[in-house]
Amino acid sequence: MIVQSTVLAAEFPPSVEDFYLPSILPWGAENNYWFTKITVLAWVAVALIIVFFLVTYRKPQLVPSKKQWFAESVYGFVRNNIAVEMIGPRGVNFAPYLTTLFCFVIFMNFFGIVPLIQISPNSHIAFPAILAVISYVMFIYVGIRQHGFVKYVKNSLIPPAPWFILPLLIPIEFFSNFLVRPFSLAVRLFANMFAGHMLLLVFTLGGFAMINANALLAPVSILSWILTIALTFLEFLVICLQAYVFTVLTASYVQGALADEH
Amino acid sequence: MTGQEPPPDKRGDDGSPPPDTGAGMTAVTYLIAGMLVWGGIGWLIDRYVGTQGIFAGIGAVLGIGLGVYLIVRRLGA
Repeated sequence: MIVQSTVLAAEFPPSVEDFYLPSILPWGAENNYWFTKITVLAWVAVALIIVFFLVTYRKPQLVPSKKQWFAESVYGFVRNNIAVEMIGPRGVNFAPYLTTLFCFVIFMNFFGIVPLIQISPNSHIAFPAILAVISYVMFIYVGIRQHGFVKYVKNSLIPPAPWFILPLLIPIEFFSNFLVRPFSLAVRLFANMFAGHMLLLVFTLGGFAMINANALLAPVSILSWILTIALTFLEFLVICLQAYVFTVLTASYVQGALADEH
Repeated sequence: MTGQEPPPDKRGDDGSPPPDTGAGMTAVTYLIAGMLVWGGIGWLIDRYVGTQGIFAGIGAVLGIGLGVYLIVRRLGA
């Protein structure tokens, strides 16, 4: 047990330090975070998605094979239940992007509960932040292309209200439409994955800490590890939900940018 | 989900917007944004004038009122 605890290389109260994994290239360098497990996982997620869709769509058949059926289900789910549902008929145009986004987020999140990997790159704010920036730039671009710059800004900043109250309302509109949106998109995903990893760490390492402190606490330790497994299943729910929420909100923002005045 | 029929009338631009596109999220955002924006401006005034927080309080109340008003105008019938 003590050996295992040192293998995990983490002290009991887990801290933010636990999210900064040792450098792989150069091997074992101190305070070097350019190429760590996180980097590897991000690229693995990208590679897996590309390979998965290439393989499953290589020889598409009218009566799909199992793999093709699965890939088509994923795409069909995002297209019909997110893109078209949220954006309307034009949502089909955005289905490829939304599917990619959905797959990427769910893969990245899923690393959080794969045994022996058990950390999601999305538990670093950088990854959700970049994804949020992509969505942010996209819905603004789409809105400007649809309405023209002036009309888009007018649509999104000026609510239907009497003129004398507008100076009070426009700052709120600006804040909620252009500042809160990307921020909440990124933070929601990041915080969920961060907290999930933290929770699993607390229960796993807490078990070791208790059994090391007093052998009589062994039953509690075992209970703690069982709870880790239970929490892993809970985490699976969070993973799917957050990937879905991220995609749905992106679609919703695109819809808002495309819509005419309410 | 599994039957892969493309949705009917695809790529048509007309058609009513979908019923509920994140309206709940928008409403919550307006409430919080109203409070933060005008509360924040009030707080800045407080710092500038040197008062203890009266303007921040007024700003937050005003902001939440404006947030409710915005929700009514933007999302109401």
